[in-house]
Amino acid sequence: MKYALFLGCTIPARARNYELSLRKTASVLGIEFVDIEGFGCCGFPIKSVHHETFLLLAAKSLILAEEHSLDICCPCSACTSVLTEVNKKLSEDKDLRQSVVEKLSPGKTYRFQDSIRVRHIARVLYEDVGIEKIKSQLKRQLTGLSVAPHYGCHYLKPSEIYGGFDDPGNPKSLDELIEAIRAKPVSYEGKDRCCGGAVLAMNENISLAIAEKKLKNVKEAGADAISLICPFCSVMFDDNQRSIETKFSESYQLPVLYYTQLLGLALGFDERELGLNMNKVKTAELVARLGQKL
Amino acid sequence: MKEKIKILVVDDEEVVCRSVNRILSKEGYRVDEALRPEVALEKMKGAGYDLVFTDWKMPGIDGMELIARIKEIRPETDIVMITGYSSIESAVKAMSLGAFNYIPKPFTPNELSNITARAIERRRLLREERSKAEKTYVIFEYVMPDDLYYLPEHAWVRVGEGKEVAEIGIDDVYQKTIGRITKIDLPEPGGLVTQGNPYAEIHASGERIYQSFSPISGMVAEVNQELKRDAGLVNKDPYGKGWIARVNPSSLEEDLKNLLHGDAVIKWWLKREIIERRQENYVNVVALDPKFKFEIAAEPGGEKIRSCFACGTCTAICPVREIDDEYNPRKIIRMALLGMREEVLASNFIWLCASCYSCEEYCPQGVKFTEVINAIKNIAVREGHIPPSFITQLELIRTHGRLYPIDDFDNKKRKKEGLPPIRMEAGGAERTYELSGLKKMMTKTVRPSP
Repeated sequence: MKYALFLGCTIPARARNYELSLRKTASVLGIEFVDIEGFGCCGFPIKSVHHETFLLLAAKSLILAEEHSLDICCPCSACTSVLTEVNKKLSEDKDLRQSVVEKLSPGKTYRFQDSIRVRHIARVLYEDVGIEKIKSQLKRQLTGLSVAPHYGCHYLKPSEIYGGFDDPGNPKSLDELIEAIRAKPVSYEGKDRCCGGAVLAMNENISLAIAEKKLKNVKEAGADAISLICPFCSVMFDDNQRSIETKFSESYQLPVLYYTQLLGLALGFDERELGLNMNKVKTAELVARLGQKL
Repeated sequence: MKEKIKILVVDDEEVVCRSVNRILSKEGYRVDEALRPEVALEKMKGAGYDLVFTDWKMPGIDGMELIARIKEIRPETDIVMITGYSSIESAVKAMSLGAFNYIPKPFTPNELSNITARAIERRRLLREERSKAEKTYVIFEYVMPDDLYYLPEHAWVRVGEGKEVAEIGIDDVYQKTIGRITKIDLPEPGGLVTQGNPYAEIHASGERIYQSFSPISGMVAEVNQELKRDAGLVNKDPYGKGWIARVNPSSLEEDLKNLLHGDAVIKWWLKREIIERRQENYVNVVALDPKFKFEIAAEPGGEKIRSCFACGTCTAICPVREIDDEYNPRKIIRMALLGMREEVLASNFIWLCASCYSCEEYCPQGVKFTEVINAIKNIAVREGHIPPSFITQLELIRTHGRLYPIDDFDNKKRKKEGLPPIRMEAGGAERTYELSGLKKMMTKTVRPSP
């Protein structure tokens, strides 16, 4: 399994713990990542401002991947959504494809979705690696750990671009990935709801209130931690958890781990290798509860 | 409930008054009679009535004048004009004066009973709508796309290219006030329909049967077979999949003169609302831009805005709306459809979308509201309305190719952690901005929102 790794903007700068755990876990599960020079912003932040620029930015990265004959793997859900959408659009709409390619690489031909796929890392783990393979590689039991999966929005939505993968209204892939590492997925109210991240720059009050609602629901459901798969969701629940606690006079103290960090623990990596020291809400107590390495 | 509804019937023919009284009293309503309009006006000055049935042609004050005078005394009263079949022009005029509806003579007890039920349901809907916290902008209870022609509160007609075939159906007001449609007795292809006359029977919940009036005259070319399988399509999509028949018009030009179209639809609504003294929430009709919805529909992602049926599912599911009323997808789309271009484009609320796509997933009409709001924002930016934080983002991506620049210090840290360096693209996204025209636009129009 060889993928062009599309990190996007947030991960290299604000979520190196995600990147570390991603690369470590991939290495033992047979996923090979290729870092392609020239990958930059996926276009997501510009979609609402200037559609044409959004399209060209996304297409540029897709073209790079196609030139390397590699499928793209994104750890960021927003990048996944944007690249999947444009990949689909450009393969289905011949006129649009021609006009975009003419601007970016005149005289060349690209097939986009008919040539390359865009996959979120969670989907790669779920579909390409598979639950059984993950189970077969476990080095540590996470038994007894109750984990609330946070799917976020763009991993499964808009569903029309994802070809029927999982059910955005009642998702299960991340639950099953949590089960695969012997932890217990916790169901909670609003499991499919947003983190509020996209509104943070415009209105912090709304953004934090949306995140607070979720933290509250997760806490009430009795989870020990939240597991997520998107760097901006982590900004909301991990980086901003203290601000939320202060603003709403609550105490959550809910560790927030990327799924790849939990997976890494189950695969036997130590905390530092997985960047757990970079998580804002301390995870030491949670890790101490885990069973010994096998 | 019914015994609390007071109805007045005004007709110089005693037999009509008696007959209406008998039918509606049997249903449990409180009914009074007035053989002369002057008596009706005296009665209105007293306790007033919820609903008035009035004949059109009466000695002295005619039905039209009576409507206007009743609306002056008690604007909240619903009025139904009793007309002859051929007087559709008068019926439309009566409704523009504030009448709720018209009923052609002769009518059956069932028709009278149903029209009364519709009036009461409409009152209930209005009360419910008014009680909602949506009063910042226009209260626009019903959706009436302005590319159609209307027999208001009844029927619509869509004129096809070449004008040889016209599609007809019932409008949103009508479907909302009759409730869930269970069955439609469709006309036979080849049969004739006449403007203002019934052509289909609509069966609704509560075992009520309503007449549907044709907005044009002509021969039925085709009926919507899908309605035989699912008559509820009319409730779900009255202007689209819920069309009832396709007609070869016989006198289209003349018929269209009797109907409302385009700006006249909005003006008609506003006039109705002003008559009912609810104008304080309304915007200046002159400032409305009926082309705004077409402008949005022409943007990538905005294509399906006109399919919106204002059902509010997007609003119910929206996580931002849950926290703050300022962001209300249903309200935004209604403002856009109504043509409140400047209010929408210059607003801050369009920038509060969380891009979570929940509205899209649950929208029964497939409107793709997240994409619609992106289309609106794209237009807003071209007009110079863009929040400062977005300008910063645009600049960062232009110069560095990414939102969070990575410098040598960051790469040293990455190296220490065993991560490969991130090489920033020389020139950032400048070239892409040039190709897309964004660079040119940024120098011209991008300035902070007010």
